[in-house]
Amino acid sequence: MTIGTVLRSRLDTKSDEYRENLAAMEQLWDVVAAELATVPTIGGQRYVDRHRTRGKMLVRERIEALIDPDTPFLELSPLAGWGTQDPVGVGSCAGIGIVEGVECAISGSDMTYRGGSGNPTTWKKGSRFHEIARENRLPVIVLNESAGADLPRQADLFIQGGASFKDLTQLSKLGIPSITMAFGPNTAGGAYTPGMSDYTVFVKGKGTAYLGGPPLVKMAIDEIVDEETLGGAEMHSRTSGLSDYLAVDEMDAIRITRSIVRHLRWTKLGPGASEPDDPPLYDPAELMGCASADVRIPFDIREVLARLLDGSRFEEFKPLYGDKLVCGWGSIHGFPVGILGNNGILFSEEASKAAQFIQLCNKRDTPLAFLHNITGFMVGSKAEQGGIIRNGAKMINAVSNSTVPHFNLMVGASYGAGNYGMAGKAYNPRFIFSWPNHRVAVMGPKQLAGVMEIVARNAAAGRGIEIDEDALAAQTAGLEAQIEHESTALYSTGRLWDDGIIHPADSRTVMGMALSAVHGNVVQGATEYGVWRH
Amino acid sequence: MSISRLLIANRGEIAVRIARTAHRLGIDTVGVYSEPDRNALHVDSVDVAIALGGATAADSYLRGDAVIAAALAAGADAIHPGYGFLAENAAFARAVIDAGLVWVGPTPEQVTLLGDKVAAKRAALAAGVPTTSMIDVVDGKVVGDDVVAYPALVKAAAGGGGRGMRVVRSADELDDAVAAASREALSAFGDGAVFIEPYLERGRHVEVQIMGDRHGNVIHLGERECSIQRRNQKIVEESPSAGIPQEIRAALCDGAVALARHVGYEGAGTVEFMVGADGTITFLEVNTRLQVEHPVTEAVTGLDLVELQLRVAAGDPLPITQDEVVISGHAIEVRVVAEDPAAGWMPSTGHIDRFDIGSGVRVDTGVRAGSVISSDYDSLVAKVIAHAPTRPGAARQLARALRTSQITGIRTNLDTLVAICAEADFLAADTPTAYLDEHPAVVAPLGPTGDDRVALLLGAVFALEFEHRSTDRGAPFAPSGWRNLRTQGQRQVWTEVTGEHLHVEYTMAQAWQPGGETLRTATVRLGPWPEPDETGALSPDDRPELTVRLLERFVGRQTVEIDGRRQVVDTDVVHPMLGLDDDGVGAVTVHVRSSAGALTLTRAPRFLLHDAESATGGPISPLPGTVIAVHVAAGDAVVDGQLLMVVEAMKMEHKIVASGDATVAEVRFAVGDRVDTGELLVALEHHESEES
Repeated sequence: MTIGTVLRSRLDTKSDEYRENLAAMEQLWDVVAAELATVPTIGGQRYVDRHRTRGKMLVRERIEALIDPDTPFLELSPLAGWGTQDPVGVGSCAGIGIVEGVECAISGSDMTYRGGSGNPTTWKKGSRFHEIARENRLPVIVLNESAGADLPRQADLFIQGGASFKDLTQLSKLGIPSITMAFGPNTAGGAYTPGMSDYTVFVKGKGTAYLGGPPLVKMAIDEIVDEETLGGAEMHSRTSGLSDYLAVDEMDAIRITRSIVRHLRWTKLGPGASEPDDPPLYDPAELMGCASADVRIPFDIREVLARLLDGSRFEEFKPLYGDKLVCGWGSIHGFPVGILGNNGILFSEEASKAAQFIQLCNKRDTPLAFLHNITGFMVGSKAEQGGIIRNGAKMINAVSNSTVPHFNLMVGASYGAGNYGMAGKAYNPRFIFSWPNHRVAVMGPKQLAGVMEIVARNAAAGRGIEIDEDALAAQTAGLEAQIEHESTALYSTGRLWDDGIIHPADSRTVMGMALSAVHGNVVQGATEYGVWRH
Repeated sequence: MSISRLLIANRGEIAVRIARTAHRLGIDTVGVYSEPDRNALHVDSVDVAIALGGATAADSYLRGDAVIAAALAAGADAIHPGYGFLAENAAFARAVIDAGLVWVGPTPEQVTLLGDKVAAKRAALAAGVPTTSMIDVVDGKVVGDDVVAYPALVKAAAGGGGRGMRVVRSADELDDAVAAASREALSAFGDGAVFIEPYLERGRHVEVQIMGDRHGNVIHLGERECSIQRRNQKIVEESPSAGIPQEIRAALCDGAVALARHVGYEGAGTVEFMVGADGTITFLEVNTRLQVEHPVTEAVTGLDLVELQLRVAAGDPLPITQDEVVISGHAIEVRVVAEDPAAGWMPSTGHIDRFDIGSGVRVDTGVRAGSVISSDYDSLVAKVIAHAPTRPGAARQLARALRTSQITGIRTNLDTLVAICAEADFLAADTPTAYLDEHPAVVAPLGPTGDDRVALLLGAVFALEFEHRSTDRGAPFAPSGWRNLRTQGQRQVWTEVTGEHLHVEYTMAQAWQPGGETLRTATVRLGPWPEPDETGALSPDDRPELTVRLLERFVGRQTVEIDGRRQVVDTDVVHPMLGLDDDGVGAVTVHVRSSAGALTLTRAPRFLLHDAESATGGPISPLPGTVIAVHVAAGDAVVDGQLLMVVEAMKMEHKIVASGDATVAEVRFAVGDRVDTGELLVALEHHESEES
């Protein structure tokens, strides 16, 4: 027995229109791919080489050795920090990987970038990492090697940064295990990462931990001491007790960590996949070309669903009502999911339909996937008189108080309050992934610049000042360009507004892994009210 | 005196084979079994089987009284001894007859006479059989003034099959060789008597099958050549011999019949000769039983030798005359043995996981998948016999069957047999008994080469990858090794039997196909991946890249298409032990086979258990066996290469030597103790080398 009936695609993948769109999407992806390529060696070849001369593996090489052979690894926020003063990737690697059959939240520091020291965005990425581990009940594995805080940037880091140690111990309280491997220095605040972990593994002769290094100890109390005596792996394993396991080398530390995961006898609390996991009837690779590269050109969200859902099966809810929001049930890799996908703008009907559907899915304990392709809520007197605010409020109410896991898949624009109604970042979805064509802002750049131009003209008219048309035109164009830049997927991912930009063709895999991860915790809808027929 | 119920006093393939003929003739069969054989194939092949108890040959199949008691208890009226065990034991034959049972074999007197090689040779000389002379040995010394010409062969007077045999190339080796041969003969046959005869270099082993009845009829069924031998034990046998001229063939066959007539021979027997390159003939011995290699004679004559044995034993005259014996075509038999040719034909014991012999050939075997090869019995696993109108035809038939065979769980000589079948001198019938010594390449063959080898390796790689994906509990739906930020491919390191490492790195892509099929394609790089040099920079990557499409995938089979060439690879993945994660510390073995041949590869463990790395400080047992000699005691100083201990397994003696100058700390086993693979035999405290 399966959910829904088969969607029929109307997309002509041989048309010029499709091909041109596909080419434009590929260009957008190439930019993302080029940024991704810089991340693993962002520390610079000189520091990568120096790291290797010390017999050390790069952080991603360690993760490759840690996870089960041939299993997938979903790296989260790999481009965090893009467009900021912090490096792309922020000097850490975080993701979901499978160790001894257990989905784990895995994080590691990149020693080749400023000695693995943390910057403000590193902290943001780490905070998000702990949130994902906590919400989805994923055991945490930390591959640590860090000089501590990036000291010149301490003002933007020191105060909030301390939360990471609180996070670790609160995870422990929730029964979510944490394992920290010390591959190198764990200095100052960094020493609390092993300190607050359930299990610690130190690499002999390499892993160290101390609150103050030898120079600081000399300055503070005039003691001259070597690193090993002060905080070496052997000392911590035999004397201080900070290290639970002493590893012979890096691979041995990874072996021990895998062994620790085996004894967790970890079980997930969610029901897991329950539907047939057959591929769509249409090639998921075509996801690359079925959403518009230019978000101003509309497309049918059902074309995405036909390539995203198992067997292209979809049971559409209220198909004849509020048709700019497509709602219904399907499954991705066997995990049942309620879909809300936009075909553009939200009217009152769409908003109230969404509220009803969200409440229904809460009653059915069904996770919700919000496919953002939205230009905002409708404006204008007709809309206002029709109660667009009142109906939008229902949607935001329903989504805010929904307790089933939410996912955002950004397949197009996400403008205005539509972002909120569709469970955007501020509404704590479990995962947000973006396609490279994604745009997010309070409104479209042209609209925003136009609004500001009208405001300027009105202000000038009010004060009786004559408009300098050239200056205003330049100002409007400049603002539009600025908003355009700040709306892009890269800008968004750089600020951790999402968990990463993905290749559209990978959407089934990514959504499947995210759905699987959320089943680590109970999947339970809100119970306070019945379903309102809004 | 007809036979209606036959007890088969043997095990393994010969017991199975005898039962097959008996059943065809309407004769019921009774088997016997030792404790380890209680569920063996030969026990299933008989109508009823009687337990002998015991494990070793001496405690089971050599217990003649128990065998006769079993025959009487089971209502058998005849005993067929097969070969080995009691087959050439005259006292047993006598006891069988005295118990009122039919003995399927020559009379006890004939067994006694011909079983003593010295007496047999005298009889042969008397019968006018062409042969060279021999030198007697008494109490380990050459009798009288006879001068031993080298190379010489020391041979046990009793027994056969090459046991108790030593080639001696110079006078100073003679005493040791006589002692060793005598000891081995005593252990194997209960008789340590040996003699010496000239050793014919580059000679051929040619033997004549004879058959006699109690009515005075004797015929020969042509000759067999069994020159390809390891440790004087036959491994390839054929009929007719392709390496002797017609006049030699006639001389051998006529001589064999003359000897048989001379002693009034009854039943099946084999007269063995060595034929030198110059045509010199040495009579070796008469085997008063069915030979292991009798199927090649059956193939070319169309006769069933066991049927003839049973008829003659029942007192019937031979049903055919010499004139009616027609040799048709050419037959070749190979012996598949549980030995590792590359490791000095080291016996291999263990549990057979897969047993699969190619088609188009006769297979005589006593094992099946699940059987256990123990060190208690000999190492024969199967005989594979090809028969074709011509010798090259038979060789091709055999080669293909062997190439597509797979036996896993134990080491076998299959690869060597495949290599022999394709080797030029073998195909040219240039096969002296020194053949294997002269062709080391076939002893340690490379197996399939080139593209065939790559296909087998990739079959193993993707069998493991397939298994990993099939057992992933985390994200079984995800594409293999999927990454959203890729820094390297999926990596596996394999070890060949030779110890050579093979590095494979691959990335996989999957393409949606109409109808819901998913086609997986791998980009594969072969060879070590870049590693950092002393500056930390990675070495240049010049690995060849292959595009591999995985056309069909099942447990046990991967169909790989490498750059457009399709190859089906059968795969058998063997994990170190139940429940131990393969990427923990255990190595995973994969046996792969394609139409090009078979290969066994081991995937190196991903992680090392460092506490298991500590040196054991002395020699460990290379295989399970029994300690038969201890040459040192605690406190002795020993030098590099000095003999410490001798371990016998599967009738072979293995010398355990010191691997450096040392002092013996402890001798951990005594004579008679059983040892297992990997056990520390002698603890040594190595002396510091002078440099350190």
